[in-house]
Amino acid sequence: MANKIFDRDTLLDLTVNMVPLFIMAFFIVAFAVVTPFGVDPLASSLQFGLVAVPFVLLAILTYFAGRAVAGSEMTGELYLPGQAGVEGAKPLGEDGELMNQFDEDEEPEAAVEGEADTDDAASEDEA
Amino acid sequence: MEVNGQLALTVLMGILLVAVAAWIARVENWRSYSPIAGGGGYGQQDSYVSEEKPSGIIRWLTTVDHKDIGILYGAYGLTAFTVGGLMVVLMRVELFDPGMSLISNTFYNSLLTSHGITMLFLFGTPILAAFSNYLVPLLIGADDMAFPRINAIAFWLLPPAALLIWAGFFPLPDVLPAQTAWTMYTPLSAGVGAGNQANAGVDLMLLGLHLSGVSATMGAINFIATIFTERGDEVSWANLDIFSWTILTQSGLILFAFPLLGSALVMLLFDRNFGTTFFSGEGGAILWQHLFWFFGHPEVYILVLPPMGIVSYVIPRFSGRRLFGFKFVVYSTLAIGVLSFGVWAHHMFATGIDPRLRASFMAVSLAIAIPSAVKTFNWITTMWNGRIRLTTPMLFSVGFVANFIIGGVTGVFLASIPVDLVLHDTYYVVGHFHYVIMGAIGFAVFSGLYYWFPLYTDRMYQKTLAKAHFWLTMVGTNLTFFAMILLGYGGMPRRYATYLPQFATMHQLATVGALLLLAGQVIFVWNFVQSWLEGPKVEDGDPWNLRESGLYTAEWDWYDKKQQTAIADGGEESDETALTDGGQPEGDADDRDDA
Amino acid sequence: MDAEPGLSEQYRMASPWPLFIALGVPIAELGILFGLFPLSVGGLLLFGGSVAGMATESSYARTPWRAMVVVAIPLAALGLGFIYTSINLPDRGFAIIAAAVILVAGGLAGSLFAQDTEEPTY
Repeated sequence: MANKIFDRDTLLDLTVNMVPLFIMAFFIVAFAVVTPFGVDPLASSLQFGLVAVPFVLLAILTYFAGRAVAGSEMTGELYLPGQAGVEGAKPLGEDGELMNQFDEDEEPEAAVEGEADTDDAASEDEA
Repeated sequence: MEVNGQLALTVLMGILLVAVAAWIARVENWRSYSPIAGGGGYGQQDSYVSEEKPSGIIRWLTTVDHKDIGILYGAYGLTAFTVGGLMVVLMRVELFDPGMSLISNTFYNSLLTSHGITMLFLFGTPILAAFSNYLVPLLIGADDMAFPRINAIAFWLLPPAALLIWAGFFPLPDVLPAQTAWTMYTPLSAGVGAGNQANAGVDLMLLGLHLSGVSATMGAINFIATIFTERGDEVSWANLDIFSWTILTQSGLILFAFPLLGSALVMLLFDRNFGTTFFSGEGGAILWQHLFWFFGHPEVYILVLPPMGIVSYVIPRFSGRRLFGFKFVVYSTLAIGVLSFGVWAHHMFATGIDPRLRASFMAVSLAIAIPSAVKTFNWITTMWNGRIRLTTPMLFSVGFVANFIIGGVTGVFLASIPVDLVLHDTYYVVGHFHYVIMGAIGFAVFSGLYYWFPLYTDRMYQKTLAKAHFWLTMVGTNLTFFAMILLGYGGMPRRYATYLPQFATMHQLATVGALLLLAGQVIFVWNFVQSWLEGPKVEDGDPWNLRESGLYTAEWDWYDKKQQTAIADGGEESDETALTDGGQPEGDADDRDDA
Repeated sequence: MDAEPGLSEQYRMASPWPLFIALGVPIAELGILFGLFPLSVGGLLLFGGSVAGMATESSYARTPWRAMVVVAIPLAALGLGFIYTSINLPDRGFAIIAAAVILVAGGLAGSLFAQDTEEPTY
């Protein structure tokens, strides 16, 4: 289950939140190694807690958000963001096309043409 | 005397209650409309003229339609923007000269306090609610908000809040404006000491602020419920647009931040009026700062996330391509939401809190810079190689990115403890957050106001005036706030009504910039009002020609249907053709006619 | 998206109550903070009455009368809290209780004398 949802693409999307997680993890280690202000039970535990709590919360939220988004990608039809409610909008295609949506190395014309559904929109105009 | 006052109040209150009851009895008698029996079929119903809404001013007083409430929020926000803007113009003119020349120092302090609170609570939060009220239900395919009446209550709490916050400026006997600055640090705001801050004007301001917090919280609950439960069938989490994502995150932040502000304000009011000692004695002042900034820093992101959503929404439309890394933007928005609660004490590095705690807050503050930077790169890469159309909304969005980079980078330096200790409480901080609040948030608001102008007015604005507005605002913003950053490097402390002559040049530049901003906003108001009343009618449901690049979205689809219904019903005729605001070659227009 | 134009207009899009709920809150807050008895009572009445009216309108309550009594209960509890706990602000507590009592009286009167009307008659 989890593996199916968190495939390579989703993990790639989630890297954006791995970076702040990494920064916080770095500081947690750094605070453990370098203690120029000494160790005090209260202050030091607060010190670690203040970094660890956001770390944990961010990890949890990222997990659930990723699961919600990637999960609904698998079950429902995909549209461009903001286009799902447009009558006659064409769903995005298979995984391949979806991947293209998010790594845009192709030239812009292709991106524009590929997802345009001017015919649909036009016929709707006349209706 | 005392008894007479009470008697008069009682009589007044009684008259008010009777008047309200009588008025409601009248209004409720109009209730000829009943949901099931209404209309007699759609064919006969003048849809969108909406018979069940009363006409005239009563409509606006009683509406629970999300679009009407959005417009009310917008009108309210722009009014507050005007008030707050004029306040700061007065302050900047005073600062043209090093000494006390135009206004007294205490009046300067009052304006300073009121400018901050007005801009953050009466302009910033409501104007974003204007966009979200109008657009989110349209974007997610909901009929209305989840709780339309709560929505109306949330709005109507705001006008009393504004009156209370500004009460000190009204000619009331014995009521002085608050001079606490928007952070309301104790012990000054607790009214102790020899100053005049024990005055009832401060209590009124705190009450008003409390009300605006209640309003924001109600709105936030409504948005969370709406986005979770009222989405259309096709609008899955994967299909949710970026603006709704930012509103959802913002509402989550409001839900956790504003109740805390409310509680802290009640504690402060108790300290002031009922002799409690929450914020006096040892640690009281630092307790206030912790409580305030635990709210205050998320507030910064409450204000900036929806503008980021607007910009993420507008930039692709005028770049002819999709938002680069859409999901990066979504996940980084959520990351900002969580991390914003872990950075509050970076406002307090100079208070002498434990250095170990400072280090932790610095770590998280550095981590939160990443999601914001990711977004900046996404916007730039969206524009990269795109077919850019430099319409006014696009100009404001690009201006947002430019200003946000300056505001953001200066902020990263402030997050670093050693730098902060040097720059704390200088104009550098003022320049930094004004780059974000005016240069970024303000610009995104203008971008949205221009982009959706046809949607809510049926008309098109005047593009030359709009571009003049943009350039004056862009130049004015950078002149004013870059001068402030330099002043901060020079060591000019913030909040003072007077200064040493050595700072005069930079202060004068900042004042000139502020006057440019004023000129730009006068043009904006003229353009906005005149175009709303007399601008060319938009006939097309796609005024920005988004269909041809496949970037057409749900709110314009709704607008298109509304247009067609109006025409089918023999709606208003217009022989003027709307001119879309520049950018597309003429061939495109021909293509559209063929389609 | 309302694919069918007019679909979203099927329910009522106007309500007189929110404005007065929003007006009642600051009036009551001002009254309680500054110890102005008439403002406290009047503001709470405005608030409580409008809440009851809105509950009726959105069919959470069948008549406003019992809703007024329901609103009065937490108000009375708050008032008692002001008087008997360490908050110790009896004047304000009495004002809140007065508002609750008037609401209860209004609710009783309404349910006794206005039971047959569907519409709120005040």
